[in-house]
Formats: sequence, structure tokens, C-alpha cells
Amino acid sequence: MPKIDLFSDKIIVCSFLLSWSKFNYLVWLNYHDAMRKFLFNQLWFFALLFTVSCHTIYQPTAVQYKDYRLAAGAASDEKLQSLLKPYADSVNKSMNDVIAVAATELEKRQPEGTLGNVMADAMLAKARQKYKTTVDASFINYGGIRLPSLAAGNITTGKIFELSPFDNIIVLLTVKGSTLQDLLNHIANRKGWPVAGINFEIKGTKAINAQLNGLALEANKTYTIAVLDYIANGGDDCTMLKVLPQQNNGTLFRDAVIEYLKDITSQGKKISAQIENRVINVQ
Amino acid sequence: MYNRRKFITQSALAAGAILSSNGLFAEIEKDAAAKRLTILHTNDVHSRLEPFPMDGGRNQGLGGVAARARIIADIRAKESNVLLLDAGDIFQGTPFFNIYKGEPEMKAMAAMGYDAATMGNHDFDAGLENFATQLDHGKFPLIISNYDFSGTAMEHKFVPYKIVKKGKLKIGITGVGIELKGLVSDNLYEKTSYLDPIARANQMASLLKKEEGCDMVICLSHLGYQFAENKNKVCDEILAAESEHIDLIIGGHTHTFMDAPKLYKNKAGSDVLVNQVGWAGILLGRLDFDFSSIEKKNLTKSHTVVIREKTSE
Repeated sequence: MPKIDLFSDKIIVCSFLLSWSKFNYLVWLNYHDAMRKFLFNQLWFFALLFTVSCHTIYQPTAVQYKDYRLAAGAASDEKLQSLLKPYADSVNKSMNDVIAVAATELEKRQPEGTLGNVMADAMLAKARQKYKTTVDASFINYGGIRLPSLAAGNITTGKIFELSPFDNIIVLLTVKGSTLQDLLNHIANRKGWPVAGINFEIKGTKAINAQLNGLALEANKTYTIAVLDYIANGGDDCTMLKVLPQQNNGTLFRDAVIEYLKDITSQGKKISAQIENRVINVQ
Repeated sequence: MYNRRKFITQSALAAGAILSSNGLFAEIEKDAAAKRLTILHTNDVHSRLEPFPMDGGRNQGLGGVAARARIIADIRAKESNVLLLDAGDIFQGTPFFNIYKGEPEMKAMAAMGYDAATMGNHDFDAGLENFATQLDHGKFPLIISNYDFSGTAMEHKFVPYKIVKKGKLKIGITGVGIELKGLVSDNLYEKTSYLDPIARANQMASLLKKEEGCDMVICLSHLGYQFAENKNKVCDEILAAESEHIDLIIGGHTHTFMDAPKLYKNKAGSDVLVNQVGWAGILLGRLDFDFSSIEKKNLTKSHTVVIREKTSE
């Protein structure tokens, strides 16, 4: 039906224009008379416009799509740039805020490293605090730590953003001892991940002699563990965790680490960590 | 007398303008343009105000509001009927959000002239009161039909749908959000109750099409495109198939980079288009819709939409 609609539109426009030129001519004759005639002439137009507008319904019939990729060096809008500048300047400044001081260099290492221990401790402490419940152990996938080390001295907010750029959330899982053993075997296969609240030995591709709070892991007991939502959702091949129900209160891991480091600083302490044989390789 | 003279002068000027434009052909072109709609959209921008840092990462240099604003302005200069929409998760992901809680994100959206947005789960991240406060900077309506915000700071800050007139077209926009339980901390969403998104979207779309006489209904969705691990979880694919009267679903949440928008058949056998453009404002999606007039009695008949890639500007 589009053609008919278009056609009737054209008739309206043409008639309207004709009546207008007539009107212009009449203006010279008699203003008031012309006005009367003009308005009368338009009456049918408005009546027609009214009926047309009441009955025309449109429907989408075709679509063309395109994605614009905003690449480096693309032309940018100056108004937005200046709107952003004061915020950006201040954000960059606060990224340089010193939140803690490292007593020694902290290193990312396998099967166990000082940097991983600090971060796993942060996860365990904040999981207990934010979920207000008992949490037995915490686990971080090795790839989740994005810097090889933190130098001794000042630790800035920006460094923690570099260390943990992802918006990973700390979630709690309730697991049977046997499933936890599966996770430990997986970690053994991956040559050791940062952990807290648990210690075990890697023998070949198996985890053995696991202990939680000084007690041996029991296959039929249930435990509550803190992990990143990433691995809880099956990331890093943690398929054994994917089936488990999660508790998720939205606590960002990065925020938890920042808070944890600030807590230690507010106690007048520096950040330090030792190798505590949480995860060791055995023959 | 003054008013009448003013009317005559303006009418004469308008008539002159029509005459001087290229007659009938210009009119035809204008008519076609009045029945064309350009939809620009984003989702899951996650506070990515500046491009990704040049740190060797795979997204380095991509995104940023200044570059997006420039493209939007260029398109607006060429097209008369433009709608700019966002499907939620405006917040969270860069230090900007940690420090300013969403203020620059909202101000940037206002400056770009966003017409509407819906709410994502991360928009709850600094609490509902914060979202309500920051939303004032956005200057756009927050559209969501399946959250009941009674007794929260958002109670009077949202609409379940919105009608926008563009050229000859009357466009209805509604929105749906994801189930919050288990995803968002309950102390963040407070008393917000989640209603069935399919039932609510259908209710809104039916009202917009049948009672308000809208020519098109757009649903902004933060449900997620699809969930491979849970086929029964409500998502845009399911919404599309279970819908009636929705023409376009602009999605978010799953950060899906689609090769092309996808057509689904709704309950009545009509086409519904679903699109999503990844995340972080790396892409700006564009959909140019052409419309044809139909008779009202054919409104309930199933209809199809022809889709193709836009190859020329």
C-alpha cells in the first residue's frame, strides 16, 4: 500500500501550494476577504490531513546493519574530551594514591609465592567478613594475578588495578570433600595456585595430604570455600565447580584486596608474606 | 491581529521553502526519509569512558566516549530520525566508577544525547540511591518494565515504556532486566521485586502497538543473549520467540559480539530482530529501518523484515 499513501500525500501538498498562490494573489485585492477565502480553502485540507494521519500505520519492512569499531586514533569530539578531562585527571591522580607499603618484594610463583599468599589471605579474610559466615579456604587461579611481582615499597591503588583488572567477584561454594579433592587435583595439574586456609602436597598430577585448619580433608564432609566467580562458573577448566550453587553478594575481588591492604596499613604494619609450605611439590 | 499576520507570514515562508526545494522529487525523498529510522546502540559500556589503555592488551586503544560522540554527531548530521539507546550495565569496570560512582558516565551519555536506557545488574553496584542520583545527570528516561521499585529510591525515577515520535513514525520503547537474586547483592537491590520479563514485555508491547498505535516497538533488554549452560534461563532468544508485537530487541549482559543481528519468529510468526554489540563501547551498533504503510486490519497479520549489511553511507 505505500504507493497510494505517497500519492495522497502529494495531492495534499500540491493542492495546498495551489491554494497558497491563489491566496497571494487575493491578498492584493482585499486582505479580509482573502483571509476568509484562505481559511475556507484550508478547511478541507485539515480535514483530509486529519483522516490521513488517523489511518496511516507503518511497519518495519527492511533493516540494514553496521557496526562502527571505535579504534585507536579515531576522530574525537572536543566537547566530550573537555567534559572528561577533570575526571580523568583526578582518576589518574588517585590511581597514584599509596594504600600500603610492601616490606619486601612480593612474587608470583608456583607452586606457592608470596604475592599469591597475600592475595589468597585477602580473599579469605574479606570473604569471611563480607559474607558474615565461616569460610574454610580460598583459591585463586594462577592466571588471575596479572603482575609477576610487586616491588618493595609503596603500593598504589593503580597497582592493584593492574594486578586485578577484571571485575571478578568473590563467591562462596559449599562443596563435598570429594569435590574439593577434585579441585585440588586440578590445581596440582596446573602446578599450584595461590590458596589460604588449606595446605597440600603435589605428587605428580595429584594433590595429597590435604589439611584444612590442621585437620585432614574428609571426602564426606562439606566445606565452604571462596573462589573467583570466574572459576566458579567453570573458567580455567574448573568444570567440577560449575555445577555447584553459588553465594554471590557482589564483592569485587579487587576492592577486597584494596580494603585488606588498607586494613593492615591502618594497624601501622607493612605488607609482608612468607612461603609457608601451603603448597609443596613432593616426590 | 498580530498572531494572524505572524501565521500568514510564516505560512508564506513555509510555502516558499517548499516551492524552492526541488518540487515533487524532493517531496518524495522527504517522505521516504520521514519513514526511515536510524537506531544507534550500545550495551555493557562498563564505565569505559576513555579508550582501553595502550598496554599491549588485545583491546588497547578501543572505545571511549569522545570517539563515540564524534561518530554519533556525524550520523545525526546526515540522518533526520536517529534514536540512541543503551541496554544497561553503564556502570562498573574502570576506576572512574570506583571514584565517581557513575557521574561522568551519565554526563557523557547526556552530552551524546541518549534517548533512553535500561538498567543492568551492575548499575546496582553502588546502591539504588546512588543510581537514582546519578541518573539525574543522564537526562534520558530509564525504561524498565519488570522491576517493581516500590519503596526504593528508584520508585519515581523510571518508566515502564516511552513513546518517541520521529518523522512520520511513532516508536514505542520498553525495557526488561535480569533476575537480581543470586546475581546482585540483596542489600544493593533492596526491596526491588523482579517480575516475569516475558509477560511484562508482551504487556507493554501490546499496549504500545494496539492502544497507542506505535509503528514499531523496541525492547531494551539486559537479560542476556543466550545461556549455553542453561537453555531454559530466560534470554533474548527466548523473549523473541515468546513475544508478540516486539520488532527489535537490543540486548546486553552476555557481552556478545554478534557477527550480524539475528532474526527470530515471534509467537505470531512475525520477524523480531535481536542485536547486541559486545561490551565496553568498543562498537557502536547501527540499524537503519525502512517502513511501509499498512492497513490497520493487517496489523495482526505476520510480517517479515528483510535484513542486509549496510554497505554505503
